[in-house]
Amino acid sequence: MIEILFQMLVFPGLAAAFAIGFLYQGIERKVSAHAHHRIGPPVWQPFMDWVKLMSKENIKPKHGIGFLMTLCPIISFASLLTVILFIPIGNFVLFSFTGSLFVVIYFLVMYSVFYAFAGFASGNPFGYVGGIREIMQIVSYEFPFIVSLLTIGFLTNFRVVPFLSLEFPFALFAFLAGVLGKLCLPPFHIPEAEQEIVAGHLTEYSGPRLAMFGLAKAIGFWVLVSLGAVYFLGASSLISFFAHSLLILAVLIIIRTLFARLRISQAFRLYWFVIGPLAVIDLVRVIVGFY
Amino acid sequence: MHEYVLPFGPQHPALLEPLHIKLKVEGETIVGSDISLGYNHKGIEKSFENRWWAKGMYLSERVCGICGHFHTSTFAQGIENMLGLEVPERANYIRVLIGELERIHSHMLALGVVAYEMGLDTLFHYIFRDRELVMDLQELLTGNRVHFCMNVIGGVRKDINMENTRRVEENLEKIEERCHHYIKLFKNDATVKRRTQHVGFLSKQKAKELTPVGPNIRASGMDYDVRETGYFAYKYMNFKPITGEGGDVLERCVVRFKECIDSVRMVRKCLLEMPKGKVKVNVPPVVKIKEGLETVSRTEAPRGELIYYLKSAGDKPYRVKIRTPTYQTFHILGHILNGYEIPDVPVIIASIDPCISCADRMTVVDAGTNNERIVTMKEARERRK
Repeated sequence: MIEILFQMLVFPGLAAAFAIGFLYQGIERKVSAHAHHRIGPPVWQPFMDWVKLMSKENIKPKHGIGFLMTLCPIISFASLLTVILFIPIGNFVLFSFTGSLFVVIYFLVMYSVFYAFAGFASGNPFGYVGGIREIMQIVSYEFPFIVSLLTIGFLTNFRVVPFLSLEFPFALFAFLAGVLGKLCLPPFHIPEAEQEIVAGHLTEYSGPRLAMFGLAKAIGFWVLVSLGAVYFLGASSLISFFAHSLLILAVLIIIRTLFARLRISQAFRLYWFVIGPLAVIDLVRVIVGFY
Repeated sequence: MHEYVLPFGPQHPALLEPLHIKLKVEGETIVGSDISLGYNHKGIEKSFENRWWAKGMYLSERVCGICGHFHTSTFAQGIENMLGLEVPERANYIRVLIGELERIHSHMLALGVVAYEMGLDTLFHYIFRDRELVMDLQELLTGNRVHFCMNVIGGVRKDINMENTRRVEENLEKIEERCHHYIKLFKNDATVKRRTQHVGFLSKQKAKELTPVGPNIRASGMDYDVRETGYFAYKYMNFKPITGEGGDVLERCVVRFKECIDSVRMVRKCLLEMPKGKVKVNVPPVVKIKEGLETVSRTEAPRGELIYYLKSAGDKPYRVKIRTPTYQTFHILGHILNGYEIPDVPVIIASIDPCISCADRMTVVDAGTNNERIVTMKEARERRK
C-alpha cells in the first residue's frame, strides 16, 4: 500500500512529475536561449512562474464559462499524471497489463482535447481560433503519433515495456514529430502563436487556472520524454532512463530552434502526407514480419 | 463557412506600435480587412510652427526613432534650399555615410521583426545580434547609437571620428558577409521559404496603381528610388536602384538585404573618397527666411520616399507637412492581406516595414454612429474644451 502511494505521489507520480517536468522545461528554455545567443532565464524560472501565478487572483472573464475554465486545466493535468503510472521507469511501475498502451493513448488524447476546449470555454475570439487550431492539430498529429506507438505495440503485446526500436527509425521519427505537436513546440506552436492570436486558447486565462495549464504542460514534457526514453530507446535502469530522456530532450530542442512556425494547413499536409506514410511503412513492416 | 471579425490590434503582440485592423475571417482565410489609424498621433507638425528653424531640427529628429537622421536631412535640405546655402562637400558625404549606416540598421531591424513574426526566434536573435555591428559603428562615428543629431542647418554638427577606420572596415566586412548569408538562408531554408514565398503578393501592375514607396515598390519590379536624383553626395555613388521581380514577402526581404549590401559599398566609398575641408557653413542661430517662401524637400529614407513641405513665416515655419513613407504604403495592406490566412497577417504587415507612429494622423470617430470624419483645427479645439 505504501509502495503504491509512494509511486502515485512521489516517484514517478506527482512530486517527480512536478519537479522534473519543470526542470525539463527550464532546460529547454535555457538551452534554446543559448542557441539564440542570449542568456535566457534561470533553469527554475518555469517553477517560479508557477508559484507566482498560483498566488494570484482567479479572474473569470465576462463571456467565459467559469466551471469549464476550471475543469479543463484540471482534467488535462490529471490525465497526464495518470499516464506516468503506466510507464515503467527503472523498477517503478504501477500498472502494466496487456493493452495498457491504449490507456496511455486515450489519456494523452484527453489532455489535448481539453486543452482545445479551454479555448472555447473562455469566450474570446482568439481563444476560439486557438481552439480550432488545436483541434486541427490533434487531427493532424494523432495519426502518425498513434501509428508509431502501435508499431512498437505489435511487438510488445500493446503493453508499455522498455523496448529498443532503432530498427524502426520512421516510427521514432513520427513519435518525435507527434511530441512536438502535442507539446506545441516550434515548428508546431500553431495553437498558441503569440504573433497571430495572442496566446490562442490561453488568452483569457490568468492566475491559478493558467498555472494549472503550465503545470500540465510541464508534466507533458516529463511524460512524453519518459515515454520516448522507455518505449523507443529501451531504457530499463534508472540511469539509462535519465540519459535517454536527456537525449530526446536535446533532439526536441534542436528541432525547436531550427524551424519557423508552419501554417496549420502546412502542418496538416506535413503530418498526413509526409510523416504519416513514413510511419505506416514501419507499421506494415511489423505486421508482415519483415524486420 | 461562418464569417467572423477578428480584431488585430491596437494592442497586439505582433504589432510593435498601435494599429487597428479588423480582419473579416472565414475559418482561417481573410476575406476583408479594415484598417484604422489614430492611436498614436503626436502632433509634431503643429509643434514645428512655434519653434525657430534651428530648434525644429531637434523636433524632426524625433519624428522617428529609427530613421531620425533622414528626417533632419530632409528638413535641413529644405531650409538650405530656401536660404540658397551651399553645403560643403564633406558635409554632404557625411550625411550620406551616416544615412547609409542608418539604412542598414533600419533594414536589419525590419528583417529581424519579419523573422520573429514567422515564429523563428533563432533568426530574429541572429539578425538583431548582427545589427549591433552597425549600432557600434554609429556610436563610433557619431557618438550616439540612435538620434545622432548630426545635421545642422548648413552642414553637419561635427566631423566624424576617422581614427578607427580599421574597426569600421572589419564591421562592414562582417555585415556584408552576414547579409549574403541571410539572402541564401531566406531563399533556401525550407520553413522560411514556405512562410514567405507567394505570400502578400503585389503585382507590378497593382504596385503602379497603389504606389507604395521604398523597398515595397522596388520588390514589385519598379525602379523608383529618390537617391537616383543625386542629392547630397549620391551623385558620386554610381547608385542604381535595387529591384526584385517576386513582389512577395520573400522578395521584399531579399531586396532589403541587397540594399544593405549596397549601403556597405556606399559607406566604403564615402570613407575612401571623402574630401577634406569644412563640415558646415556658419549660419546665425535664428535663421530668417523670407516670409511666404515655400519648398519641397525629399530624400530616400529606409522605408521609402520622405517628403517635407515647408512654408516660411520668417524665423519660424508657417507650415511643415511631413509625408512619411509608411503613410504612402499603408493602404496596400488592404490589397495584399486578402486571400491569405491569419498566420500570414503579421508576416505581411512586418514585411512592408510600417513605422506607425511616424505616419499616424488624427482621425475623429463619432462614438455614437462610428463614423470617421475630418474636423478643422478650430472645431478640434472646441471639442477639447
